[in-house]
Amino acid sequence: MKAHPKHLGRLAALALLLATAAAHGAPPAGRLLASQCAQCHGTNGQAVAGMEKLAGESESEIYGELIKMKANIKPDEIMHRQAAGYSDAQIRLMARYFATGGRTTATSSTGSSTTPSTRPTRRKSHDD
Amino acid sequence: MFSHNRRKLLQTSGALLAAGAMSSPLRAQTAAPRVVVIGGGFAGATLAKYVRLWNPKIQVTLIEPNPSHVSCILSNLVMTGALGMTDITIRYDTLRTKYGVSIVADRAVAIDPVNRRVSTLNGSQIAYDKLVLAPGIDFDAIPGLDSSVLPHAWQAGPQTLALKAQLQAVPAGGTFVMSIPQAPYRCPPGPYERACLIADSLLRNRRAGKVIVLDANPDVVAEAHTFHTAFSTTYAGVIEYRPGTEVLSVDWASKKITTNWDTIQADAANIIPRQKAGKLVVAAGLLGSAPGARWAPVNPLSYESTLVPNVHVIGDSQGTGQPKSGHMANAQAKVCADALVRYFAGEAPDPAPMTNSACYSPITSKTASWLTVVFGYDAASGLMKPVPNTLAEAPAPTRGHYEDMFGWAKNLFADSFS
Ligand SMILES: Cc1cc2nc3c(=O)[nH]c(=O)nc-3n(C[C@H](O)[C@H](O)[C@H](O)COP(=O)(O)OP(=O)(O)OC[C@H]3O[C@@H](n4cnc5c(N)ncnc54)[C@H](O)[C@@H]3O)c2cc1C
Repeated sequence: MKAHPKHLGRLAALALLLATAAAHGAPPAGRLLASQCAQCHGTNGQAVAGMEKLAGESESEIYGELIKMKANIKPDEIMHRQAAGYSDAQIRLMARYFATGGRTTATSSTGSSTTPSTRPTRRKSHDD
Repeated sequence: MFSHNRRKLLQTSGALLAAGAMSSPLRAQTAAPRVVVIGGGFAGATLAKYVRLWNPKIQVTLIEPNPSHVSCILSNLVMTGALGMTDITIRYDTLRTKYGVSIVADRAVAIDPVNRRVSTLNGSQIAYDKLVLAPGIDFDAIPGLDSSVLPHAWQAGPQTLALKAQLQAVPAGGTFVMSIPQAPYRCPPGPYERACLIADSLLRNRRAGKVIVLDANPDVVAEAHTFHTAFSTTYAGVIEYRPGTEVLSVDWASKKITTNWDTIQADAANIIPRQKAGKLVVAAGLLGSAPGARWAPVNPLSYESTLVPNVHVIGDSQGTGQPKSGHMANAQAKVCADALVRYFAGEAPDPAPMTNSACYSPITSKTASWLTVVFGYDAASGLMKPVPNTLAEAPAPTRGHYEDMFGWAKNLFADSFS
């Protein structure tokens, strides 16, 4: 496409828009995944009533609980079905996001669902 | 805002169309990206909140005519009298005070996707860089049916109270007729839940005659085990379930309902018409030209329309095939919000989004069941698909689930609106 002056103006405007927002660019790893827990467990894991609060739980606690749930689905437990929806790597990302209060490393859009480097550590959860 | 002449000029210049995918040219000085959201239900409210939560540099304007949202979720309990209207009415104040969402109390009437502006009923023009449509559903007409007289109560508010009045008007031993539209419709288990609660209410008030359930579908659409069991045991002799039965016309002056099989004499009724995307979605051409299209095709990575760039559709109006629930509307809104935040940062959407739904249905005045599913993006087909082993209904309704239902609803309301 030939660079028409009008186009240049638009491109400049777009560049400015993008620059403004870039400070809030790549979201922390696991943020979008973790936000899908919030319908029941509250925004950022701060449940308002009647459900387990995830904010403040440790990574190994959340990870261990979810891995255990999906390994042994009890038909009467809605949360076991939810746990079954996610890969171990996704569960790791969500657990880390909640445990660090969202201070996980930023990812570009290609990195948000890759396997995190840390090896999963299986721990007893408070569910035992 | 544009001056009229300037707009004319731009409209006639081919360059504008060529640059249609780019930002408006008059934005160089005021650089905050602008997201405009139409409709403040579970989808639109969540979108507005999460865009601001995740990037407060983005300006978010929510266009919604009502001062508060009346939730369909739990509204069947308002019908029975277990809850009041205040329990399902949620104000928009927090979106403004806590998250800085600008709220325009108006109705959007038209979209100009070339100049990227929305016009409202009161005559405002609102410019956007990205537009999100979340207007919920609209209904097919049924000959003779006036929903302001005979409520569908498939949007909550005055309709909910009109349905409550219908229920209270059933004489002892009378007949209540309820109809379920062809799927997909809003809240797959919702009509069956309602049938149960109508029967429960009539039984408890010793007025039980018959509750005739006309289902346009060949079988129960959701939680088949739960509802077949409830219909044939808990409500045996009260609920009469008629699958494959569609309401063709209504003559409410003589309280007659005509189906593809016969004409039924009723004392009270709740006719729920077939559904499609909200009016504005249809008017903006977002359904495309495929015959019979009812929902807006979108890219499930961002919920951007596949037909009109920079217009996104979330919630019940979109057509990814995911169940039309408030919980799911909230889930989609977050995927869309994340994609918008990334877009303004020059990034592509998350390539593997997940969504989920969890619905609690009261079956009696003391017990409830649940239905749940997790969806994941399938890169091969470009579709959202249920993850194996995640689609399930509760084995049986229990008192425990009934209590959990309120915890779930409170958190869902809060996560969406405050
Ligand atoms: C009886 C019943 C029970 C249900 N139970 C559950 C349940 O247990 N769990 C669950 O998850 N879901 C449930 N649902 C489904 C849930 O209510 C819907 O899926 C959900 O409301 C969809 O959200 P939405 O934002 O797409 O639409 P809506 O909530 O309908 O919101 C649309 C909004 O857009 C506004 N609007 C429309 N047009 C315009 C316009 N032109 N300009 C500006 N604003 C506009 C409307 O005023 C409205 O506020 C139930 C539904 C019913 C009927």
